[in-house]
Amino acid sequence: MKLRILLADDHEIVRRGLCALLQKHEGWEVCGEASDGRQAIEMAKQLKPDVVILDIGMPHLNGLDVTRQLLHHDPHFKIIVLTITDADQVIREALDAGARGFVLKSDAARDLVSAVEALQSKRMFFTPRVNDLVLRGFLDKGRAISRDEPPNLPILTAREREVTQLLAEGKSSKEVASLLNLSTKTVETHRSNIMRKLSLHSIRDLVVYAIKNSIIQIQMPPQAGSAKESTVA
Amino acid sequence: MTVRILLVDDHPVVRQGLRTLLDGRSGWEVVGEASDGVEALEKVSDLQPDVVVLDVTMPRMNGIEACRLIQQRTPGREVLFVTQHDSPQMMREALAAGARGYVVKSNLARDLVEAVDAVSQHREFTALKRGPHAQS
Repeated sequence: MKLRILLADDHEIVRRGLCALLQKHEGWEVCGEASDGRQAIEMAKQLKPDVVILDIGMPHLNGLDVTRQLLHHDPHFKIIVLTITDADQVIREALDAGARGFVLKSDAARDLVSAVEALQSKRMFFTPRVNDLVLRGFLDKGRAISRDEPPNLPILTAREREVTQLLAEGKSSKEVASLLNLSTKTVETHRSNIMRKLSLHSIRDLVVYAIKNSIIQIQMPPQAGSAKESTVA
Repeated sequence: MTVRILLVDDHPVVRQGLRTLLDGRSGWEVVGEASDGVEALEKVSDLQPDVVVLDVTMPRMNGIEACRLIQQRTPGREVLFVTQHDSPQMMREALAAGARGYVVKSNLARDLVEAVDAVSQHREFTALKRGPHAQS
């Protein structure tokens, strides 16, 4: 029987590349493709794939929160997260969320097949940097946290994290309510609770919090002039 | 005559995705790939492609700078930007650097073939998220 894989990434061109990569492997099939986190959850529950590959930086619901929600629904889901960065904070969040594989997008052509093979054999797959971080944490007597780690962050509920992401993406309370099938009043309550818990005072503060804590990811445009320094003759 | 295309993006998976859209089309050939601006300049010089499909954000040398240098050193190439930046300002910068086309990655399945077709015939093609805009 074929190994069934669900792919979730907001860029169709990336999904096409990943599909081409995975379907070269005999015995594997991509059973579904999702373009945002909420769709990924619906499709995973419906299709029950053997492996779920999730981009972290997806609109509406990021890949880390999708991982949390799927594993809460069914702890047997095997999840690989794809990321553009292996910053310590993102690695910790992914491990904490329960991902069994962690692959950098830039290395996906090299690592993704190995990661799926590992999960198929009931093993985990992490990049060397993740392994280093885990080992450091182990050697540090179980503290998988570096010494410059900020103090413990206030815990948001899963719903509050969803609302945080949508607000940070620029949606109004009314739009959030419509996306989550809630009343605007309920969203306003979540919003007040989030601001209170995090001691934030404006949407701008909320956006900064969401970026710093990997709830949303942004790509900065190249800086004018910076390329000239790296130009070769 | 065959349109020869060079693909430039720092993510191999994206290059693979671009290939799935372009490979096998009659009259087009993907002649090579590069993973940053510096390698793109080398490949353009070696392979003399007709169309360079170029990402904006890349290590070592970004696409805007690469585009300027391609136009200076090997004129006659048409550059089509394929980028995540859904930004009119970035699009203007790309066209000012000598590009003939600009499309955003989120809409590539809709826009890429049409864009390559246009720029290979020296027509401008730009498409932000709201939709394509081609000029003859």
